[in-house]
Amino acid sequence: MSGMSQELRARLAADYGPVRTLPSPWARALWLLPFAVMAVATAPLVFDLRPDASRLGWMGLWGASSLQVLIGLAVMVAALREAVPGRGWNHAAIALWIGLPLVVVMAVTLNSWVVSPALLRRGWWMVGLACFASSAASGLPIVALASVLAARAYPTRPALAGALLGLGSGLMADAGWRLFCHFSEPAHVLSAHVGAVLMSMLIGALLASAICRAQRRS
Amino acid sequence: MADDQRLRDLMVEYQSGRFDAVDELYASLAPVLRRFLLSHARDAAQADDLVQETFLQIHRARHTFNPAFALTPWAIAIARHVWLMHRRTAWRRPWVTDDVSEMELPVRAEAASFVERTEVRRALGKVTEPRRDAIIQHHLLGFSFKEIADRAGIAETAAKLRSSRGMAQLRALLKAKGRA
Repeated sequence: MSGMSQELRARLAADYGPVRTLPSPWARALWLLPFAVMAVATAPLVFDLRPDASRLGWMGLWGASSLQVLIGLAVMVAALREAVPGRGWNHAAIALWIGLPLVVVMAVTLNSWVVSPALLRRGWWMVGLACFASSAASGLPIVALASVLAARAYPTRPALAGALLGLGSGLMADAGWRLFCHFSEPAHVLSAHVGAVLMSMLIGALLASAICRAQRRS
Repeated sequence: MADDQRLRDLMVEYQSGRFDAVDELYASLAPVLRRFLLSHARDAAQADDLVQETFLQIHRARHTFNPAFALTPWAIAIARHVWLMHRRTAWRRPWVTDDVSEMELPVRAEAASFVERTEVRRALGKVTEPRRDAIIQHHLLGFSFKEIADRAGIAETAAKLRSSRGMAQLRALLKAKGRA
């Protein structure tokens, strides 16, 4: 194959300048940590802790939420790694990154239900909708910032990177919201709270795709 | 092919401001990328176009390369992305015709004979698909390069590159025909 055409060379030269290499996914994920702390702290600070906090104990309350935040952060790191060309995850790893956090959320839900069963007897839809909307909304700032961070790399699968970012931020936001939610009934938690996490995934996928599309056209 | 450590060093130089490193990078990477793209596109001219587009994207994504990892998989990942974008674009444009025989071509008034028009149509039919689309959209349908780029999901510079390379190919084909 012959050398580079003068035309291509001129086009590259026109837009050339030294660049700083992208920091590691861990370093970039640390940018999100203050937002994660805020998302976790907002609900208990504004609305107080759930009434069965003493029954759940430190591990059941703060321990489980901290675990959820840490897993959310790990998923964010995985997403930011996915956003770098050649560092994408294979199908098995993707399934694990999506499946494992959901299994952990289910385990936390079941544990809370076993230790302190709190049934939601009235206003199932209203309470469910409130938990769903609040949990999804409190994850939005994280997913928006994370999508910008992902787009600053060069995600070759922006929807996947965005979905993972949405999953991570959804887990972080729900870790805070579960500290306040009065009901441990699995049907409520798995529909409203896990539903909010899934909604966050969808928002992340759409947002990251849109940002990348706009960026590549500019 | 140069060993990957040499390629990594070149890329680091390219990242840090030595533009000339791109020539050696191109000489080492282009054959690998072309082989990869040819295995997907199965059309030599199209693969050449995609190599050009891949280099534009490599240039754009150069800050994402981490010298702790091999360069070739990074470049191949970008080439794969370029190929998938190209395939998606081709799938999404039902209005661009492959049959140029029915198209009215604005050849010069003094040379607008039937024979010349037919020759231009034939030559245009031989121009590779992405380049032909860019020529048709810009020179015949009057779209701006920005509009072409938006429709194809590529950078504006890539649309310009396709059009100008297509025109060069068209001129070469017509010149060859004139000599024959």
